[in-house]
Amino acid sequence: MSAEKYLQALRESIVSLDFGAVVKAAQGAMAEGIDPNLVINEGMVPGMAIVGEKFERGEYFLSELVVAAEVMKEGLKVVTPYLKGESTQKLGKVVIATVEGDHHDLGKNIVSSLLRVQGFEVIDLGVDVPTEKIIAAVREHQPAILGMSALLTLTMPKMGEVITTLKETSLRGKVKVILGGTPVTDEFAQSIGADHRAVNALEGVKKCVEWVTAQERRN
Amino acid sequence: MAEMTRRERILRASHKEWADKLPFFHNWRHLQTGWAERECRNRGMGISWARPSYVVKIHDVEITEQQLEVDGQTVYRRTYTTPLGSVYLDERRAPGTGEWHGMRGWRDVTPWQTERLIKGPEDYPVVKYIVEHTEYLPDYFPIEQAKDWLGEEGIVMDIHPHQPMQTLMIDWIGSEGGRFFIHHAKYPDLVEELCQAIAKSREPMYEIAAKSPADIIFCGDNIDGVLVNPRLFEKYFMPEYEKMAKIFHEHGKLLAVHMDGRVGVLKDLIARTPIDIIEALHPPPMGDLPIGEALSLWKDKVIWVGFPGSVYALGPEATKRHALNLLREIVPGERLCIEMSTENIVSNENLLMLTSVLEKAELPLTQEKVDEIERSLGGSS
Repeated sequence: MSAEKYLQALRESIVSLDFGAVVKAAQGAMAEGIDPNLVINEGMVPGMAIVGEKFERGEYFLSELVVAAEVMKEGLKVVTPYLKGESTQKLGKVVIATVEGDHHDLGKNIVSSLLRVQGFEVIDLGVDVPTEKIIAAVREHQPAILGMSALLTLTMPKMGEVITTLKETSLRGKVKVILGGTPVTDEFAQSIGADHRAVNALEGVKKCVEWVTAQERRN
Repeated sequence: MAEMTRRERILRASHKEWADKLPFFHNWRHLQTGWAERECRNRGMGISWARPSYVVKIHDVEITEQQLEVDGQTVYRRTYTTPLGSVYLDERRAPGTGEWHGMRGWRDVTPWQTERLIKGPEDYPVVKYIVEHTEYLPDYFPIEQAKDWLGEEGIVMDIHPHQPMQTLMIDWIGSEGGRFFIHHAKYPDLVEELCQAIAKSREPMYEIAAKSPADIIFCGDNIDGVLVNPRLFEKYFMPEYEKMAKIFHEHGKLLAVHMDGRVGVLKDLIARTPIDIIEALHPPPMGDLPIGEALSLWKDKVIWVGFPGSVYALGPEATKRHALNLLREIVPGERLCIEMSTENIVSNENLLMLTSVLEKAELPLTQEKVDEIERSLGGSS
């Protein structure tokens, strides 16, 4: 089978959410000695892009986004050992967390997966993350972007607490802050001084890409 | 005509008839018993209470609970042992859990399941065994008692668990990290088979509910179009609602379903369901379906509007503005009730402010009446 056929099979397996097919195609490509970077960048990433387009057109829903990302992960498990320490270009760092008191991570996880697909280095702090831990991660990793998620109105004020602390510790000017979660509104995001409120996972990821691309142009 | 009681208002509106005033009420489980709550109730706020009509018996399954330390945190592990093997779940409980109502902590949060009952494919047969050995028996005392206590202050609903697929999605498999979707994609037969087993085991529960003393059967499904996409809703949810509604309607009961998420993507499918009351619909900015559009789409349904917690987070002035805008949007106010909160405790200040707006909402509402309410509150109209 030609390299293009393997890449096509990888794209199709991700779009059709087929766990078995992605592993088979990835194993086949590696056995044929196809460049693992090519497999990822021309096979899997375009597959996820098609899934994203289908999501935007309303043909696919969040469930398909989640499963497609998981299918891609299975494929990556096969390919990653062949990368031999080669580094892929990173768009920038993102620290992401669900704030303290909140244990919801579906939206956060899909955003993390999509950010990684785009080429971001994602430091995912998990759920129920105290403010001080988020601040410490921003200080340590110096990300371009901080993403925070909350599904409970009860925990939304924690997002404001983080932003206030970022200001108090002179970190606010060094990081863009993006918020997500069903109860989070534009009005709320503005009221606590965030840079953006993501309407959904894809829109949020696009905003992150836009920010770092604009930053690169300035540099 | 004598002023209607709070109960009459809620039931009139729920049966698509006109009440004298826009019914507004607080959920018992979120109610901050005290001076503000008393004042709001004196000014027309009702109460809704949800209690079950059944008790559950699980046969031939040993259930044990342990308190453990995991990663420095106290968790409660409940283990179900069956002849086919064991399954367990772990949960962290906030302070106050089990000390006031339900399984909610002092801050009104439910326990966080850190480990779900179903973790891998090997757990499905065990859980199916538990389901097939679960029996539902009628027990109308909780509803009769609450009705006696509440009288004309509000309504008592018969509360039901999440329906079968939602039980798997939210409770047993869980949606953390998209786990339910991944299971559904990887093990479709196991998920389907278990879902069918749950549906079958719940049929007696519907019969019990249909004969209960409650006027409304409340299915706490927590529908959100982000999690429950249209394909899932049509395949798994709609048939179950049809089954439930058929039995309930034969006994003169109404079916209410909790739908407080972004349901815009499901709006046409919801229109085709036999659900009577869309409970806790949140208008924008939290939800994505304006009440006016929902009313016009769902002509055979009543909407209980959930007042958004994100508005409460901005304080009493924002609460007033949002409530007045809501009234303007829903003129003339038919087929509607307002719920003070369906998710969390409301501050006294916000509760009083919302009551100040709603207590004067005489039906049928007009723009002039809303202007008058705004003027009475020191607004500019």
